[in-house]
Amino acid sequence: MRLRYVVRELWHHRLRTGLALVGVSVATAMLLDMLMLSGGLETSFRRLLSSRGYAIRIAPVGTIPFESEALIPSYPTLRDTLLDVPGVVGVAPLLGANVELRAGADSARAFALGIDPAEQGVYRLLAGDPPAEGRVVVDEGLARDAGLAIGTRIELELAGSLGVARRVNVRVAGVAEFVYSARGERVVALPLPVLQRLAGRGDRIAFAMVRISDTADPEAVGAAIRARAPRVETFTVSGLVERARARLSYFRQLSIILGSVATAVTALLVGTIMAVSINDRYGTIAAMRALGISRRTVVASFTGESLVLSAAGAGLGVGLGVLTAGYLEGVLAGFPGLPAGIRFFVLDGPAVGRAIAIVLGVGAVAGLVPAWRVANLEISRTLHREEP
Amino acid sequence: MIRIQPRRRAAWAGIALAILAAPVPRALAAQPAERVPPAGDTPVPPSCPDPLGIAIERPFAARHGIGVGDRLDVGPEPRGRVCEAVVRAIFEPRPDPARLTLERPAVRFSFPDLAALAGRPDAADWFTLGLVPGAGPEGTSARLRASLPGLQVLSTAEVTERASATFLVVERFHGAIAWITLVAGGVFLSCIMFLKVGERREAVSALRLVGISGATLARWIMLEAALVALLGGGLGLGLGAVASALVNGFYRAAYDTTLVFSLVTPGVLIRALALALAMGIGAGALATYRLLSTDPLVEIGR
Repeated sequence: MRLRYVVRELWHHRLRTGLALVGVSVATAMLLDMLMLSGGLETSFRRLLSSRGYAIRIAPVGTIPFESEALIPSYPTLRDTLLDVPGVVGVAPLLGANVELRAGADSARAFALGIDPAEQGVYRLLAGDPPAEGRVVVDEGLARDAGLAIGTRIELELAGSLGVARRVNVRVAGVAEFVYSARGERVVALPLPVLQRLAGRGDRIAFAMVRISDTADPEAVGAAIRARAPRVETFTVSGLVERARARLSYFRQLSIILGSVATAVTALLVGTIMAVSINDRYGTIAAMRALGISRRTVVASFTGESLVLSAAGAGLGVGLGVLTAGYLEGVLAGFPGLPAGIRFFVLDGPAVGRAIAIVLGVGAVAGLVPAWRVANLEISRTLHREEP
Repeated sequence: MIRIQPRRRAAWAGIALAILAAPVPRALAAQPAERVPPAGDTPVPPSCPDPLGIAIERPFAARHGIGVGDRLDVGPEPRGRVCEAVVRAIFEPRPDPARLTLERPAVRFSFPDLAALAGRPDAADWFTLGLVPGAGPEGTSARLRASLPGLQVLSTAEVTERASATFLVVERFHGAIAWITLVAGGVFLSCIMFLKVGERREAVSALRLVGISGATLARWIMLEAALVALLGGGLGLGLGAVASALVNGFYRAAYDTTLVFSLVTPGVLIRALALALAMGIGAGALATYRLLSTDPLVEIGR
């Protein structure tokens, strides 16, 4: 009965209701986007880091992976040390270098990764075989753009190797998806010793990823590694996520500011609409009160009206928010150097639930205040007051 | 200006030769190409220049109480061999947004000192060429590219474009957010205008019935809408300027930098005010149309 009255009142002022719905849905969309943004990077980064099953990263002490040109010396010794640490199951070493890739008359720039073929820590093989001596794996984009197929002969030359050219002739053995590479980045993976020779890096690596047993604690294993290999830094997935949070704090701060603005806009909009709506109905409300309808019923009716308006706006806003998040994600996808698998806006149940709860809460309070005020007016004076 | 950028490592002497021979691309091709060098090809052992003078950026020096004349240990590898260096200068780092979140400090060495310390006496990460008057950067870059296969030759414009890529994305993101905010603001303004005008529908109907034309009433309402938008816009600009000052104060202190994070320019002010005015007039026009399109006799409840 009360709901029917609320809906009828809203329908009676269709234009006002429509505008309020648009306003609330836009504000909800912005709020949802900001809630998605505030936790999206963290969720997405954690998923990406955990995707290949390596719980610990190792870099030269004082650095983070690929942040500087510092290298870890004596990888074979380090590998033996790491495998001796209780809980360590496998080690995936990595070395990077820029190369010029030539296939016939065509050439392209690519980022070469020296890896251990037994550990697929950075790629997911889509076709063919892992790298081996004289055989490399290329990423899908590079294979497509340079017309490379399994078996194609290519020449890799170290970029910048002027004067003393460093080249190696290899065949394409497989095509893979490189999970940490940036959008548009061209990657070729070859066995670590081949790249070490090509780049003149001796037995050095840039960093390594460590697989640990299911029962091992990453923090404890990291501490044990640091104790045995003091020249390396260890990073757990949580540690790297924390560092990423600190570096990309701008997006979190922006999401807090704009989320607050969206909440304030919702409160102002619903509050204004309800205040005007109640002002229009002073006489009616006084008459209802004179007929014996309780204050509680009056307050509940107006709060209900506000809630219905907010709920409908929130429902529309969630859809709109998902659409705008997709658009904003497309804008941010252009970030240079960011792994293609990273998402800024991650849609999850808690974010949607929080956005709806905030809008409904704000809507209820925004409706409650004018309703409470009018419910406490003096009936006889209000009955003599002319409605606008 | 042109920047030459060997992505990882370059033979310094080889580059110098190639530049001198730039018009003759075969100068390099004629050199014998070495295949993959044998294993164990390691860099030249690092050595300690004596004396070794360095300059350190001011924020790092301030955080760690480092002053001119202090002696520090520096080395090419963490926990590896170190050399004693004397701090010769403290410098204010160039405001660079790309370095804001980097944890490592900027330290300046003389080129030969760093090359010796790193054990890379013939290597450079990149270098910049000054051009003689009249030499166009694009044409010279193209000629050098042909002579320096394996290296990147970039004009200043290209370097700027690459360095700005991140900030262009952030700018586009801000633009998109601004449009969403504008839509939200526009809807809010329209609501307020509809409600304000709606409150006066009987008074306006009465005025129409006593002979005041719809056009005159429309002008009044539009003028009022424009005034409200201007006043609101002015207040908003003031609020924006305060917010901008707060943003700059907070982030400058947080990152210990002289960077300007939020810049309020006359262009921004004019654009913001023009948008507020346009949205106000638009909302007023919609409200006026709705008000004047109904029969005044119906409105006053004949």
